[in-house]
Amino acid sequence: MRSKHEAFEFHATLDDLDEGLDVLHRSIERLRQATGRAADDRPLMLFETALGEIGSNVLTHGRPAGAERPVDYRLRFVRGVVEASLTDAGAPVHEHLAREMPGHEHESGRGLAMARSLLDELGYERDGGVNRWRLVKRL
Amino acid sequence: MSLDVQSRQADNGATVVAPTGRLDVAGAPALKDAIAEAVKNGPARIVIDMEGVSFVDSTGLGSVIAALKQIRSSQGELRLAAPNQQVRVVLELTTLDRVFPYFATVEEALAGL
Repeated sequence: MRSKHEAFEFHATLDDLDEGLDVLHRSIERLRQATGRAADDRPLMLFETALGEIGSNVLTHGRPAGAERPVDYRLRFVRGVVEASLTDAGAPVHEHLAREMPGHEHESGRGLAMARSLLDELGYERDGGVNRWRLVKRL
Repeated sequence: MSLDVQSRQADNGATVVAPTGRLDVAGAPALKDAIAEAVKNGPARIVIDMEGVSFVDSTGLGSVIAALKQIRSSQGELRLAAPNQQVRVVLELTTLDRVFPYFATVEEALAGL
């Protein structure tokens, strides 16, 4: 039986798309195991889907050519709420935040709209030269 | 984890494309390549067997939309089979379940194709 007081923390720096995505998914698997959740736990699956969207955006666009700063990734679970943060040195992305779900014929542009609808909170701030993303969901 | 894609010819002549792994921004090009090969080599009646796909993201979904466009442009047909819970949720969230008919099994998808 799960405890309401369970807690979990994970931290990694990511500097490669394929390996970075592996780390994101592995971190969710570790959270799943640490909290005794089933493989088909729906809230955690929805969170993982949102994390995959923001994570792939950050790993694709958040490491501009010449930038040596890796993506900083943190995951924590406290009192039933999972929160991920991703910090990258890419260009600001304000103009994309309000993007709606595109029509069926479009092959791209769904990621942020999907993440927004899957999370309780999707935060973004430009802090100096970095982007800070915050993903929150009650499980 | 890269996406592995196997293709085979079904008894009715349709092509079954079976990706295994994560169909995400890293894996999508492999599916695109497999679809392009299937369209080039034979009848554009294709079932994508999603049973081995553990996770899909919007870029992976985009590769399926690209496949649909490519196949329909050659008067062909594309069906999805055996998507897991996560894939179904993403299809429903994006309302693409209205565009891609999906079937519980490959056999059901092949019937009448």
